[in-house]
Amino acid sequence: MTFTDWLRADRLPHIYCAGCGNGTVINCTLNAVDQMGWKKEETVFVSGIGCSSRAPGYIVTDSLHTTHGRALAFATGIKMANPALNIVVFTGDGDLAAIGGNHFIHACRRNIDLTVVCMNNMIYGMTGGQGSPTTPPGALSTTTPYGSEEPAFDLCELAAAAGANYAARWTSYHVKELTHAVLAGLRTPGFSFIEALVQCPTNYGRRNKFRQPLDQVEYFKTHGMLVEKVRRLHEEGREIPPDTIVLGELARRNRPAMGVKR
Amino acid sequence: MKLSIDEKRCKGCNLCTMVCPYRIFRPGKTPNERGIVIPVLDRPERCPNARLQPLYGRTLCGMCQMICPDQAISWVEEKPGEKKKVAIEF
Amino acid sequence: MQGNVACAEGALAAGCSFFGGYPITPSTEVAEHMAQRLPRKGGTFIQMEDEIASIAAVIGAAWTGARAMTATSGPGFSLMMENIGFAVMTETPCVIVNIQRGGPSTGQPTMSAQADMMQCRFGSHGDYSIIALSPASVQEMYELTAAAFNLADRFRVPVFLMADEIIGHMRERIEIPDSVPKVERKLLKQGVLPFHPDDDLVPGFPQFGKGYGVHVTGLTHDERGYPCATNPRVHEQLVRRLVEKVEGKRHEIADYRVTNPDAELVFITYGSPARTVEQVVHDNPGKEIGHLRFRTVWPFSENALREFPNARAFLVPEQNLGQMAREIERHTSVPVIRLPRFGGALHTPGELVAALEGLK
Repeated sequence: MTFTDWLRADRLPHIYCAGCGNGTVINCTLNAVDQMGWKKEETVFVSGIGCSSRAPGYIVTDSLHTTHGRALAFATGIKMANPALNIVVFTGDGDLAAIGGNHFIHACRRNIDLTVVCMNNMIYGMTGGQGSPTTPPGALSTTTPYGSEEPAFDLCELAAAAGANYAARWTSYHVKELTHAVLAGLRTPGFSFIEALVQCPTNYGRRNKFRQPLDQVEYFKTHGMLVEKVRRLHEEGREIPPDTIVLGELARRNRPAMGVKR
Repeated sequence: MKLSIDEKRCKGCNLCTMVCPYRIFRPGKTPNERGIVIPVLDRPERCPNARLQPLYGRTLCGMCQMICPDQAISWVEEKPGEKKKVAIEF
Repeated sequence: MQGNVACAEGALAAGCSFFGGYPITPSTEVAEHMAQRLPRKGGTFIQMEDEIASIAAVIGAAWTGARAMTATSGPGFSLMMENIGFAVMTETPCVIVNIQRGGPSTGQPTMSAQADMMQCRFGSHGDYSIIALSPASVQEMYELTAAAFNLADRFRVPVFLMADEIIGHMRERIEIPDSVPKVERKLLKQGVLPFHPDDDLVPGFPQFGKGYGVHVTGLTHDERGYPCATNPRVHEQLVRRLVEKVEGKRHEIADYRVTNPDAELVFITYGSPARTVEQVVHDNPGKEIGHLRFRTVWPFSENALREFPNARAFLVPEQNLGQMAREIERHTSVPVIRLPRFGGALHTPGELVAALEGLK
């Protein structure tokens, strides 16, 4: 079996724009789920609202496409009522960090045995490109026409600070690494958070000097730096470029978790 | 096995042209009937997965399939009568 | 036993195995009692971070096949509205207890009201229909909570227990039956599309973890469960069915109590004002005072009004400005007299007698 067997072939092609990174993240997640050897009937995908949250509709398992920002609360209910189910939550940056921020930190605090894959495109894609809590300062969007003035959230740091057992960040360029990170998250009991930076050529790239989908992926490739290297540079007192994307495993610990399969 | 792009799914983003270590995928030039410029395959028989997957029993490399956001890239079984072209590189 | 505790006990008797809650006066005792009793019975109690998360967790749990409920009051109820609409759209059976308090906003946390009756029916956006029950005693808190689970599972809708603070915090002696009637949730038959309705307009339940591979979405969906949000015909068909599956059965769901059907002057009540009216009827045996008491408030059954063929006036004492009186007016040509009394004080028998005298 390969990850393609988990897709609802009758629903493809999906609604994502050409060059959208969400499809890549679905591939990586399904590949990891496939490597876990889980049965389809024991796996549930949950999502909220937004581009990323359409993903479960293309997967053959039971899936719940819920209201905006509440995916983690729904997933908590499913997991606590039936810990035998394996649950993967797809969410986006607006869904998770803005409207669902409270559910996010509380799910981390409870350390519920969920794996959350956040497709962070740094913008509200489905509603037409408004600024989100992860829009980098200075970036243009329809609601930040003069450049975003607000600092952005670091979602992995947030998850780690709130108590998640696992937090990692990769991008849609690093498909193998992302797959391994999701796999590590699925294997970790407790709350695992994987942030996948994805390109949004239609609404983010177009306004921020990434004319082609390839340009933004190239940016991820050239600006990503492993967390180990960042730490080493920091220790050596050397300068870290300000627009560096810190990649890799940012937290791994073994706090007691809720809802683990007995 | 033969590398193939599903024309019904491909949206022409050209991400595959970036990741293939053999540069098999090249940006296309002419739009198809859906108006999408699908990448063209340059000597796809060089793809290691196409040649060696049956031998190893698992996907080798597979970068193009993983990064393809539209799930359009796959390897299909060849029809028995089909001619094979083998390019030997030194 | 206290009303809120009776409510929790009724839920346990009905086989409730999941409670997601958030503390709010005056419903907190339901959560407290569930926290104490559920884990011992093998169920799950979880205190969520807010009411939005509570109802979300309840809906999630319901999809795993559990009988799930939550309890709240005014402000929390307002927060739940979006996900109540989600439960309606996805046809999720769940029970929501609302121990009503004075509003709007924070209002009167410790005082009684019945001002959420319209909100529970129309609070979420879009056209839909739900079932709401209204207990008037601690015994009914027990019975109707148990009944609510059966209605939820039969019709696959959120069912509301619209009690008020007086009933919730009242202590009465109650009779606990050995068992309560239980209607099993109808599972989806193999080979049938997950949202294809049976003859009763209710589709079988494709429980998670059973291999149905169902996609559940709050978007307008076709019978396969796939989003189909731009097709006017699919949307109209779906919304009409969601409304019709409840409204079409309103006379069957109807549950009311009739006293003195030949009376000319009739009180119509639900919840705690019924108790004052019962006192008035009891104190004036010669006067032939009619009393119609709704135990099921929504869907509204107009047949109940026909139980009083000689009625000259319907008097509706409510703890709001006349929310149900408005619904009653819609269904009858008999004059409807609103007797609002709110702010936490209940009608006194003297007031109601005076209202009767005024009509003679």
